Amino acid sequence: MKLSWIFGPSMEAHHLLYAYVAAWLIQGGYAAWIAWHWFKTGKNARASGLPTGPRDDS
Amino acid sequence: MTRSRIYGLAGFVWFLLTIAAIVRATRLGLLVAPTEATMGNVQRIFYYHVPTSMLSLLFPYVNFGASLCYLYWRSRDPLKALTADAVAIASAEVTVVYASICLLTGMLWGRAAWGIWWTWDARLTSMLLLWLLYVSYLMLRKLSATGQAHTLAAVLSVFAAIDVPIVYMSIQWWRTQHPAPVFFGGPDSGIDPSMMPAFKWNVIGWAMWGIFLLTFRYALERRRQQIEQDNALQAIEASLEIAQ
Repeated sequence: MKLSWIFGPSMEAHHLLYAYVAAWLIQGGYAAWIAWHWFKTGKNARASGLPTGPRDDS
Repeated sequence: MTRSRIYGLAGFVWFLLTIAAIVRATRLGLLVAPTEATMGNVQRIFYYHVPTSMLSLLFPYVNFGASLCYLYWRSRDPLKALTADAVAIASAEVTVVYASICLLTGMLWGRAAWGIWWTWDARLTSMLLLWLLYVSYLMLRKLSATGQAHTLAAVLSVFAAIDVPIVYMSIQWWRTQHPAPVFFGGPDSGIDPSMMPAFKWNVIGWAMWGIFLLTFRYALERRRQQIEQDNALQAIEASLEIAQ
């Protein structure tokens, strides 16, 4: 299995590569943004003595 | 084991399964599926473009349902309304993410296949409008100074959902540069059976990823709401102590 054609000089190869990389970057960037806020929110909550997880009613 | 730990573990397992599905889907799309006869390798953008486009038309309905629930519960049961509001913002953001990828991959494909980046035909324009509506929804929530921002956003989401069937039907109602429906588009529609595994796995993988993002973003919003409620409660308790 060769991936060399994806990195070829043609516009088709470039655009195929850009499309796949753009999808990963946008999806990964958004997931990273959520994760960053998740940990930041948890850290702030712990600093002020507030609970960080969903309320445990069980 | 506490409930939050069980949720965390389940989320992590789901995340790993999703990554495995996307890796398999990408491998099938890039390396295993046959090269299309007329467009060549650039047609492989299809395996990302079509599943993300399909999902960008499904998540608005999650937002629509959650917004209707919010409008119904906001005066009857505020706690349920907060839950619905968290689902609404999570689904709106995921919609913007998927619609952005749909537009971007479509433009990259269009430039290579048609020779143009963009054309103002019904499908592309209605999809751009859908993206703009959900960006407006998020900006309204973020920037509005009134206390009614969430209610106004919920009403906007009901109007935004009307655009979804227009996007879907646009290639049947009007003559467009965009190709006719690949699926459910009549006797000549469909793809070669050898391309189906790559397509199906991409639908599965990106749907699982969308569910992961939606759930993770929902959990973040619930955590923020809980902190806001606890802060408000502490402020009330402090003010009562001062009064005494």
